Amino acid sequence: MATIAKPEAPRAPPTYAEITRDISATLGNPSRGYYILLGGVLLVLACGVGALLYQVRVGMGVAGYTPPVMWGVYITTFVFWVGIAHCGTLISAILYLFRSAWRTAVYRTAEAMTVFAVMTAGLFPLIHVGRIWYAYWLIPYPNQRQLWVNFKSPLLWDVFAVTTYLIVSTTFLIVGLIPDVASVRDVATGWRKKLYRITALGWRGTDQQWRHYLRGYLYLAAFATPLVLSVHSVVSWDFAMSIVPGWHTTIFAPYFVAGAIYSGLAMVITLLVPLRKVFRVERYITVEHFDNLAKLILLTGLIVGYAYLIEFFMAWYSGNAFERASFWNRAFGDYWWASWTMLICNGFLPYLLFFPKIRRNIPALFLLSLFINLGMWFERFVIIVVSLSFEYEPFAMGHYTPSWVEWTILAGSFAWFFMWFLLFAKNFPTVSITEVKEIIPMPRKGKAHT
Amino acid sequence: MPDGLDRRRFLKVLGVGGAGTAALAGCSSDQVEKLIPYLIPPTDQIPGLATYYASTCRECPAGCGTHVRVREGRAVKIEGNPGHPVNQGRLCARGQAALQGLYNPDRVRSPMARDGDGQLSPIAWDEAIDRLTERLGQVSGGALWFVTGNESGSFARLVSDWMSGLRSTQHVVFEPFGYEALRQANRDVFGIDAIPQYDFAAAHTVMSFGTDFLETWLSPVEHARGFSEGHAFHDGRMGRYVHVEPRMSMTAMSADEWIAPVPGTEALLALAMAHVIVRDGLAVAPRDIRRLSGLLDAHAPDSVAQRTGVAVGTIDRIAGEFAAESSVAVAGGMGGQHAEAHATAVAVNLLNYVAGNIGRTISFGRALNATGGSTYGAARRLADAMRAGEVEVLLVHGANPAYATPPGLGFEQAMGNVGLKVSFSRFLDETAMQADLILPDHDPLEQWNDYEPRASVYSLMQPVMRPVFDTRQTGDVLLQIAQRLGGRVGSRFTVETYRDYLQQQWQALQRRLGDRRPFDMFWSEVLQQGGVSDDGGAERQVRLAPTVGATRDVPTWSPADGQLTLIAYPSSALYDGRGANRPWLQELPDPVTTITWSTWVEIHPETAAELGIAEGDHVEVTSPVGSVTVPAYVYAGLRRDVVAMPLGQGHTAFGRYAEGRGANPLTLLSSEPTAFGGLAHYTSVTLRKTGQHERLPKTEGSKRQMGRGIAQAATLEELTHPGESHEEHAAHAAPVPQHIEDVLHEWQEAQYRETERGNYALPYTGTVDGERPRWAMAIDLSKCTGCGACVTACHAENNIPTVGPDLVRRGREMSWLRIERYFEGGRGDEPLEARFLPMMCQHCGNAPCEPVCPVFAAYHTADGLNAQVYNRCVGTRYCSNNCPYKVRYFNWFDFQEEADAAFAFPDPLHWQLNPDVTVRSKGVMEKCTFCVQRIRDAQNQAKLSGTTIGDGDLMTACQQTCPADAIVFGDVKNPDAQVRGLAEDDRGYHVLEDLNVRPAVTYLKKVRNAAEA
Repeated sequence: MATIAKPEAPRAPPTYAEITRDISATLGNPSRGYYILLGGVLLVLACGVGALLYQVRVGMGVAGYTPPVMWGVYITTFVFWVGIAHCGTLISAILYLFRSAWRTAVYRTAEAMTVFAVMTAGLFPLIHVGRIWYAYWLIPYPNQRQLWVNFKSPLLWDVFAVTTYLIVSTTFLIVGLIPDVASVRDVATGWRKKLYRITALGWRGTDQQWRHYLRGYLYLAAFATPLVLSVHSVVSWDFAMSIVPGWHTTIFAPYFVAGAIYSGLAMVITLLVPLRKVFRVERYITVEHFDNLAKLILLTGLIVGYAYLIEFFMAWYSGNAFERASFWNRAFGDYWWASWTMLICNGFLPYLLFFPKIRRNIPALFLLSLFINLGMWFERFVIIVVSLSFEYEPFAMGHYTPSWVEWTILAGSFAWFFMWFLLFAKNFPTVSITEVKEIIPMPRKGKAHT
Repeated sequence: MPDGLDRRRFLKVLGVGGAGTAALAGCSSDQVEKLIPYLIPPTDQIPGLATYYASTCRECPAGCGTHVRVREGRAVKIEGNPGHPVNQGRLCARGQAALQGLYNPDRVRSPMARDGDGQLSPIAWDEAIDRLTERLGQVSGGALWFVTGNESGSFARLVSDWMSGLRSTQHVVFEPFGYEALRQANRDVFGIDAIPQYDFAAAHTVMSFGTDFLETWLSPVEHARGFSEGHAFHDGRMGRYVHVEPRMSMTAMSADEWIAPVPGTEALLALAMAHVIVRDGLAVAPRDIRRLSGLLDAHAPDSVAQRTGVAVGTIDRIAGEFAAESSVAVAGGMGGQHAEAHATAVAVNLLNYVAGNIGRTISFGRALNATGGSTYGAARRLADAMRAGEVEVLLVHGANPAYATPPGLGFEQAMGNVGLKVSFSRFLDETAMQADLILPDHDPLEQWNDYEPRASVYSLMQPVMRPVFDTRQTGDVLLQIAQRLGGRVGSRFTVETYRDYLQQQWQALQRRLGDRRPFDMFWSEVLQQGGVSDDGGAERQVRLAPTVGATRDVPTWSPADGQLTLIAYPSSALYDGRGANRPWLQELPDPVTTITWSTWVEIHPETAAELGIAEGDHVEVTSPVGSVTVPAYVYAGLRRDVVAMPLGQGHTAFGRYAEGRGANPLTLLSSEPTAFGGLAHYTSVTLRKTGQHERLPKTEGSKRQMGRGIAQAATLEELTHPGESHEEHAAHAAPVPQHIEDVLHEWQEAQYRETERGNYALPYTGTVDGERPRWAMAIDLSKCTGCGACVTACHAENNIPTVGPDLVRRGREMSWLRIERYFEGGRGDEPLEARFLPMMCQHCGNAPCEPVCPVFAAYHTADGLNAQVYNRCVGTRYCSNNCPYKVRYFNWFDFQEEADAAFAFPDPLHWQLNPDVTVRSKGVMEKCTFCVQRIRDAQNQAKLSGTTIGDGDLMTACQQTCPADAIVFGDVKNPDAQVRGLAEDDRGYHVLEDLNVRPAVTYLKKVRNAAEA
């Protein structure tokens, strides 16, 4: 990793001052393009909220649900966003523990993405339940009716997993931001100065503060690491604990975790490519970084591809007629197009990353990341919808097609995510000033501070 | 204290706040409910307790006895009258849906007349009657026509008295299903103008020639009960049933063998069978069959095999079977009534005669009043008379000829020539829409009346509640008119009300029956019983009529060259179309196709492939007289050269549920009466694909069970000679290791303990003292005929909303109980076989729905039920995903909210709701409860009286109504319970047993009495 740690620098490496300047520059006054983009995102979000209100008013029937498919786009999208959320913690916590220096340039983006993805994911179980106004009944709280929740239900585990993950990843993001916020605080004016003053938590960069900070950050990283594995395992048990053919399998936890990281890495690339262009931080987020991310994608992609194969193999090998029928239907049934989208996007396309030329070709990587995002959404769609549509009782089999309400809410969820991301990118450093400084060579004399 | 809150101010704020809260609370309720207690309560109404009134079902001519359940002065459910000789406590879907006739939101709410603009608008009763009286005073007898439906009791006599008082003889009975071919055949063969009673219970072998005796024909509930008794497997024996028809109807699906002859040639087949029986001397027949020798000789099996498409061997075999034991052959169903159906009915009469069935399984002594002498020919004469301007006043009661005759007859247009058209209809149907004056009759549940389903059975109707609308019984209206007219007609009636008239008739009946008690005693007894019967009459001697056998030529029907034969068959739910305004019936899936709310055309897969037609493609069906466009349903249960369409839809009026749905196949039928005076239901058609396509509103997913052993069957041979089962199943239940058994047991006990902590649970109130009950069900698939009566019973008992065709298309029907219909075989030379399986919540002992619910909305009760707490449900729908049987239903919309588009109970349809059962709101899951309200009621009663519940005291709604007695419910812990015995039956199995979910429902394999090859 040592070679990777040095950012490829055609010119001399940036100085501390340049770093502070370059990255603070990303927080400058937004351009018209930014406002147009933000306005567009808000408009889509408004449509999504409108669709949701319509659904709450009229009933879940406005979604395309066709029994026996009782879970559809909403749960698919929930799992999709939870999956996206996984990469942030991987990069920021696990790679931190492994001392992978290259993470420094990308981890802030990944972490922000994590928090916003969890915030998006967490909405979907609410959007999906029939009586959203009673969704709080899933929280075990003392009440005069002496009602309690069912701890045997994987859905309840979900409630805990997702809220825990939201709390921990948010904390992690905020803590990681402290020194950077302090840096920008010193140059900011107006209301933002107030904001940074609060979020910097009185950071002055003393040695003592640094010592505590680094130690605390390490512990947080250690604390967050198991969550990367556990949260998505729990999400996978929503399915694996049931008796639905196509769901009821022990491979789900590792399979989902790998898939989650896989999709998260793809999303990081999707976000970073335009970001470095717009913010002109190509000096900090370099081709090397993309190469590394691509290698991780390749690794997790191989695991995911293996899981696909194993699922089909086990369906056959188990001799269970229901499993066999379910997987036959998955590949050749009514939803063959969804399954093959998934298989091609996730199972075949990532092998292109064996070629260094593609790993280091940013437009190609961007395109590939879009395909992987698409493929991973379809993976969840296939697991959820296709399995449910072809269960035990042949007479009750049905075909589900999502309705416009679901598509609008799905689009709204992307808008919600990008809204947060856009706001974040203009108000907080998307590349860690502190940590980038840590990995460049010690400054030459006389140019230490400006 | 300038700033603070002093006492006075505090109180002021409190007062205003309180008022505001009260005002808000007032706004939140949609309408102000006025609860007014009874000042002087009626003697027979105790709030919270149901009262039952005996009545008679008038939804079809069968005349089943009913018990109407009334709560707080409103009829809430119609059940069979166990003491009634026709149906013995069972009731079909149509009978139960009569409630939706009573509460139909599209009923005529008051008398109506055409105003200046020609629009129907409400008027007062007095004025309405005056208008009619005035006109009747001027009309000459010959120009007054009265059309009624089939009436066999006092009302028929009243009408005929009244008409003769007005010097008119033009009383036309119009019953669309007139069975003219059968009646003509009975006249021709036996010289009897009647339809006999068929005893299926006494028949070992049943042969049906195109007759849907389990659906609409004559008396389907009675037939289903008898058929179940005579045919179903018990104690190693069962009957045999062969169905002969080009199409496999629901009735044919219960057959052991389905023979599809060339359409129109059934007569030849029946004669060939008679030939074999006589030739081989298989039965002891009366001597006069010698007269048939010429006719039978001309129809040896080898001479008809070619024309009928049935092999000689098959004819010999079924003839042998038919003669070997007690048997009955039936013909004359409307679905088999082609232009030469008379020949079929004659041939089948002869077949029955040579087999010696007349007087044994066929009783002319107990002749049915199925048609009231109606013929299509009479309707045609009326239409001609109207066209010729010979009709000045037309009165129509209980009939809808403008809909139920082919458009080619021009009945509706001909009505335009009539001076005054008066309708007594309860609904604005097609005929009433043409009327100048509408004098709406009471619903049968609101009126005094009687009906004679068959000779010597006298069945009563009484008002079970106050009339819902400003309607008046037609009998009363006729009597009032007679009084106002006075003179000849006025002097004929000594009574003022129809009730008095009815009692007069029953006084006469009491004398005939030889009952010497005071009339009041007799009357209150017959009212309680629902009528009286005198079935002990002597059997009528029947001999062949002298003309029989005079001709050897037997006409057959065949379509035009190269064209397909269309069969327009009666819909088992909508009957002749009169059921089309009942949402329960519209949503009852057709037993064959599972389609709801529409019309379709059934096409054989090979024919469909030739024409490039797929399911749901719109097809233009063109006959010589008309064409309709309907979606296709590809169905293997047809001959290749036959297509079929159900009757009953295509209304142009008749209220919101009926109007503008599907198409009316009568459009395709010739308006020319056949030689026997009926309407031919077969015609030649061509098909053309229009290019349009729709997703059919049907409930089936897969037609086949993919070898999963959902609906299992065995042959009689396999059961009586145990050995290797031929049925192949996907998976067999693996033995469950003891440690898992222990865990399951512990888990169940823990659940019992949990639920028993609540004081609402009723521990140990079962059928055995001290023992915790385990409610269970057994369903005998060898009895189930797939009729769907249970489905409607479930709708009625449990306040299940109907959702309409668009939601059915998306699989969102709410019916807790569905009849699954699977096909087996039918590929290559294999015979096609259909199996029915009623599927509802299986109340698993180890239920997969329960652990996945995060809020305990799905839980296990102490008596082994899977309960669903609607109030607690958040709507995650995980329970449904995890249910292998897919029997949980989600409220996608607010079916109970008036403002919502999906509102299922428009005023006054919500009066049908069962007050014992919650009406669910949107966003919650619901499912079969095993009629928990009935269980709790029985448990409470048992607790109050300190007893246990007897086996059979407690019935679920589906069990109670099942005409075939296929469903048994009870406490499986009770060693004496019938359900316990059935649960341990050799034929018993659980659906998807290998999942180890421990269902409480045991299915007993269907048994097929396969032909001896």
